Amino acid sequence: MAATEFDAVVVGAGPAGSIAALTLSQKGVKTLLLERGERPGAKNMFGGTLAWCPAPEELIPGFWEKAPWEREVVRRVLTVVAETSATSMVFRSDDVDRPFRGRVTLFRPAFDAWLAAQAQAAGVTVVCGCTVEGLVVCGGRVCGVRVGGSDGVVEAPLVVAGDGALSFLAQEAGLHAGVHAEQMAVGVRALYALEEDEIDGRFGLVRGQGATNEYLGGTEGVRGGGFVYTQTESLSVGLVLHLDSLKTRGFAPYDLLERFVGSVHVAPLLRGAQLVEYSAHLLPEAGLSMVPRLSTSGFLVAGDAGGLCYTNGLTQEGMNLAMTSGHLAGLVGAEALEVGDVSAARLAAYDRRLRESFVLRDLKTYDRAIKLLRRDRLFSDYPEVVGAIMEQLYASDGAPKRRVGSIARGALRDRIPIRETLADLIRIGRSYL
Amino acid sequence: MNLDDIFDLVSYRIHPEPHIVVDHDTCASCSHRACTFACPARCYEWNEVRGRVDFAYESCLECGTCLLVCDLGALDWNYPAGGYGVRFRAT
Repeated sequence: MAATEFDAVVVGAGPAGSIAALTLSQKGVKTLLLERGERPGAKNMFGGTLAWCPAPEELIPGFWEKAPWEREVVRRVLTVVAETSATSMVFRSDDVDRPFRGRVTLFRPAFDAWLAAQAQAAGVTVVCGCTVEGLVVCGGRVCGVRVGGSDGVVEAPLVVAGDGALSFLAQEAGLHAGVHAEQMAVGVRALYALEEDEIDGRFGLVRGQGATNEYLGGTEGVRGGGFVYTQTESLSVGLVLHLDSLKTRGFAPYDLLERFVGSVHVAPLLRGAQLVEYSAHLLPEAGLSMVPRLSTSGFLVAGDAGGLCYTNGLTQEGMNLAMTSGHLAGLVGAEALEVGDVSAARLAAYDRRLRESFVLRDLKTYDRAIKLLRRDRLFSDYPEVVGAIMEQLYASDGAPKRRVGSIARGALRDRIPIRETLADLIRIGRSYL
Repeated sequence: MNLDDIFDLVSYRIHPEPHIVVDHDTCASCSHRACTFACPARCYEWNEVRGRVDFAYESCLECGTCLLVCDLGALDWNYPAGGYGVRFRAT
């Protein structure tokens, strides 16, 4: 590999890495994209959603028409799961005249391969089956990567790390001291094959439309939630579980997944569907508090590797943040290479651009909500309270009916001290209002 | 969903050398053995006879859960060599 000289090496052909490489190449930077899987997407299990963002369309005109996404999400269901009941909020959008600014479901192995192929078509050299083992540092700045084998080295004035949630390269570069269980969640997913028409019928969709079902509670008190996402001919069913909570509670993720799949909420959706794959992956979940400085001399960090992924309890964002950060990394990197200055001071423009963009602004906007989701009670006591209120609201037992407020006070009284309820209400208010 | 079936559905290209090495001496002072239940691939199993955690790298999903739940630093954790390890389906 030493025969060719590269101006930039991008590590990881996920959405952050491929977009960064594509951006660099379009700016005339000789770019190498390294992927440890035997093909882009081979290591990615995610079947989730991608929310609209402008970056891919800027790089690939017609992106949203061409990219191999699966279904456009028109129906979103958020369900609070209690022991013996469940309460859902259903949102359905039928505004078909608007320009597309929504979200799509997609299947990452296919999508990642397509995106890396776009980078390749734009002139990026893509090498798969190549694990980056560490950074090469010359005179205090990052100047390349060490690859598979003992003495493989690729030198380049700029390295962009899109190496995923464990973020080993950023750690080696001294940008953070390692990620912790308290900052991360593990996602486990079962992939089920089911005919397109069956999916349409079960989720109330017409051709090409998609649905997301998300569940809060029902995880034996482990902080986290469940999901069912519709792909064209498959369903992604899984759980996302906070690692520290999983560890404390002592549950196995596959046992919780088995219960979730067999639950009354999910089992009917899967009738006759064929289980085809099981997978697991980590997700950064700590929001701004875990986002380190994302640049240093000769080095930029994008996507999950920078902690750029979150849920605020109502929606999840990750791929759009990855792609946008990859885009900005490519832009700042190309400008720096052009003037021949890849110093830390120059590349700090990347952090600034991220702070100005929706990427870090959204993380800031929902910082309190992200922190709120670390409260155990939200996943154990409160779903039961919601369930108890709804049960009594709909009950008819011959006794005179009570107002909702009175029912709620009764449901709360047995479980949560009033003072803590009020504190939580204030927290919830400050998180979302 | 039959739990035992799910692990059989995963495809791997197995490298002859493990990419994660467990330091059993360090492990010995662990009080929670979180790896034995938190690992989504069931790679870690408590062996009562040997009095230690057995580790099978072959079925690893490369997620990193074990690395983060281990608070003793008992794992030398690396991704598998290029092209090896788990490979998720393309379609």
